[in-house]
Amino acid sequence: MTIFLASVGFGLVTASVLAVAAIGFTLQFGVTDVLNLAYGAVMIAGAYLAYVVNQAGLNIWVGLVVAVVACSAGSVLLNSGIYTPFQRRGATPITMVIVSLGMTLIIEFGTQAIAGGTSVSYTMAQGPSVRAGGLVLTTVQLVVIGLSVLVMLGTHILLRYTRLGKAMRATAANRTLARNCGIRTSRVITLTWAITGGLCGLAGVIFAMDAGSFDATSTDLFLILILAATFLGGPGQAYGAMLGAVVIGLATEISAAYITPSYKYVVAFVALLLVLGLRPTGLLGARA
Amino acid sequence: MNSYYIINLLIYAAVDAMACLGLNQQFGVAGVTNFGFIIFQAAGGYTAAILAMPDQSANGGFQTYIGGWNLPFPIPWIGAAVVGGLISLPFTFLVGRRLRGDFAAVGLLVTAVLLNLLVTNYRPLLNGSAGLSLIPQPLQGEYNPQSSGYQWTLTAIAIVVCAVVYLFVRRITESPYGRSLRAMRDNDVVADSLGKNLFSLRSAMLVTGGAIAGLSGGILVSYITTWSPAAWGYAETVVLFAAVIIGGAGNHLGAILGAVLVPVGFEEVTRYIPTSNNLPPNLIPSLEWVAIGLLIVIFLWVRPQGILPERKRVIRAGAAVVPPTAAAPPLPEPPVLESAAPEPAAPESAAPESAVRPVSEPPGDREIVLEAVDVSKEFGGVRAVDGVSFTVRRGTLTGLIGPNGAGKSTLLAMLAGTLSVSGGTIYYQGRDVTHLPAYRRARLGLVRTFQLASEFKRLTVMENLLTAVPDNRGDSFRGAMAGPRYWRGDEAAAIARAEALLERFGLDGLANSYAGDLSGGQRRLVEIMRALMAEPRVLLLDEPMAGVHPNLARRIGNELVSLCAEGLTVLMVEHELAIMDEFCDPVVAMAEGAVLAEGTMAELRSRSEVVEAYLVG
Repeated sequence: MTIFLASVGFGLVTASVLAVAAIGFTLQFGVTDVLNLAYGAVMIAGAYLAYVVNQAGLNIWVGLVVAVVACSAGSVLLNSGIYTPFQRRGATPITMVIVSLGMTLIIEFGTQAIAGGTSVSYTMAQGPSVRAGGLVLTTVQLVVIGLSVLVMLGTHILLRYTRLGKAMRATAANRTLARNCGIRTSRVITLTWAITGGLCGLAGVIFAMDAGSFDATSTDLFLILILAATFLGGPGQAYGAMLGAVVIGLATEISAAYITPSYKYVVAFVALLLVLGLRPTGLLGARA
Repeated sequence: MNSYYIINLLIYAAVDAMACLGLNQQFGVAGVTNFGFIIFQAAGGYTAAILAMPDQSANGGFQTYIGGWNLPFPIPWIGAAVVGGLISLPFTFLVGRRLRGDFAAVGLLVTAVLLNLLVTNYRPLLNGSAGLSLIPQPLQGEYNPQSSGYQWTLTAIAIVVCAVVYLFVRRITESPYGRSLRAMRDNDVVADSLGKNLFSLRSAMLVTGGAIAGLSGGILVSYITTWSPAAWGYAETVVLFAAVIIGGAGNHLGAILGAVLVPVGFEEVTRYIPTSNNLPPNLIPSLEWVAIGLLIVIFLWVRPQGILPERKRVIRAGAAVVPPTAAAPPLPEPPVLESAAPEPAAPESAAPESAVRPVSEPPGDREIVLEAVDVSKEFGGVRAVDGVSFTVRRGTLTGLIGPNGAGKSTLLAMLAGTLSVSGGTIYYQGRDVTHLPAYRRARLGLVRTFQLASEFKRLTVMENLLTAVPDNRGDSFRGAMAGPRYWRGDEAAAIARAEALLERFGLDGLANSYAGDLSGGQRRLVEIMRALMAEPRVLLLDEPMAGVHPNLARRIGNELVSLCAEGLTVLMVEHELAIMDEFCDPVVAMAEGAVLAEGTMAELRSRSEVVEAYLVG
């Protein structure tokens, strides 16, 4: 029972990190139509930037803010400098995925070239542990969960109650129609990259906090969890990504407690392949 | 420059070239993006290893693995190819018609990452992260693997095998079957509507490419004698993609060039970078990956067709007459002369007697060939088509009109099988075809065209037409393997038919232009001709005259009328009422997902609800 509760605790933290990452990823894909596989690479670049700030003697939470801003700006640049020009030329979705895979190598191994191949960790206090029932969570873990809940709430408010959110949904549903209705879609898309890029940076830093130590290739496997959560909930569906993140996060950590930890990704992988093969629109997506 | 260095270089070049040929066959020719390609090379490597190695007890237990059958050369290589092909089978469920190509690619990428993780962590299977070593080399009992003669022989065999693989993939690609693969690459939905079974084509390519990858892996381990998860990380697939894109996707010589430039080139260039203690560790390998990423992005932007672009397949007028070569046995006389004869024969070749009979009885009494009963389609909550029932009789040119959003195109797509129905039944020639996939309906003679341009862009006009021909003996994997002698007769007949049709529609001068380079009107013509090449009994046309010059539209209309007189049935969506007036009888009017009225155009004009819904607007 204690193992189970402990793994639920880990699962909640993983699910929280995953939710932030998957919401960003799925909105990016839904609104801008780019399946940006470089998302994991941008995450880890943000995590490194926070590390650099942290090493300079500043608090890691300052590093987190720097990473969010930098990843937001970087994602906007990535879109306007690379993806949009390719899309304007009429590149097929498959070409876009190959371009994003090329960008993955450039960003991920560019980070590695600068940072070196060794693992690093943030200098930070974990804070006192909090016990609730059988769950034991550190203050940092609680903050991570709190941040994630805030992001989910913020996403909900953004999509339901703001003009920008409605414009994003309209652009996702039909870009041409949205433009014809007077929505400035190119501005909506740029803002979407800024928002999702910020989420990506946030996800990168809290991922690194959760992982303890990380190197430039750490998000290779985490990207699989993001993809699994995204496709489980239906690609482009923000609420689906939240649901997918909770399911995948808990499933991986609980399975890790009972099988070998090195196989914990298998659950996510099986879920992903089943969804792709049986119901490509995901659990919350429209039926094909 | 000692001989060891050259041997090493040549073997790696041969292995990488083989892998790139397999990948190019999948990606460059058939448009199947297999981001997990490296899995199949890995499977071949492990298979060759465990087939050749003795039982694990023979090596003092320092490595554990399954198998260990100690089998003689060349069984390990054959096994590598077979397993590489077999292991592709479970993945075929990802590449069917349902799943977007990029999603399937992601699924394969994830599989590659995960399988690597599993093999790394599970030691009893294939010795985990340490991998297998001391893999026996071919015939090492009989010969001395250290001798330079042995090494050179192994190199020569690797190069010969690579050459055989090249001839193999070229044979597939240059056949009618290869043309179908390229058509699928350019537009899979359209290929489906012309009778191509996408699932079978893609599965065949996955297995073919997997077998080639497996063979390359088997040859590689026979030379390097070790194989471990580090050798087949998911990113190795990206290197092969970079090679194919840079060399020229779709061109097999380009794939070989890419293999020499990228994987081999990178290995060699970094050899000459001086190692310095001042450099941080991992810097050079990291920068190599960055360079590969840059090469992919830059090439896709600057020269997406690669260094050696896909060759244009030019078919000259009259080329249908193939002179028997000295080596070839006498061919069956290609049926060129009849089809090349002047006008009277041409219409028949476009709509052969086998498919259609001339009709004489009045339209209302003719047999029903196509019937929709209470057909509906929902998108989300919208009922785009709401319980439509109507019939199409043989030999008629039935028109389908209605305002935008009336559900005409949706209805057409359901009749052809491009879209599934939400409810209702579709009968074609008395048979329930509601749940028959589009390609099966096309093979039965129910063929559609599309509202938006749907030509196969990187096929010539002639190739676009030839793709649609049913029953070409070369249009199957086995037919392609049997070689040109087997299918040349069918091909010549098809070319003759296509030439007659091109002449009839006045496009014979453009036969060898890429369809993607034509004007909008010309593309519509190509599409109609292509549909006719499919030997339809019922032709479903979605706004065939849109964007076509009025004179040309009239000519298309006249052609359709004369084809109908010969027994073809046409259902045509069209907005231009003048066209309807002149050619179509009867005409079905739709609005808001339902049939409003049916009759001649003159009758429809007299009915107020039709006029209100559509004619006035």
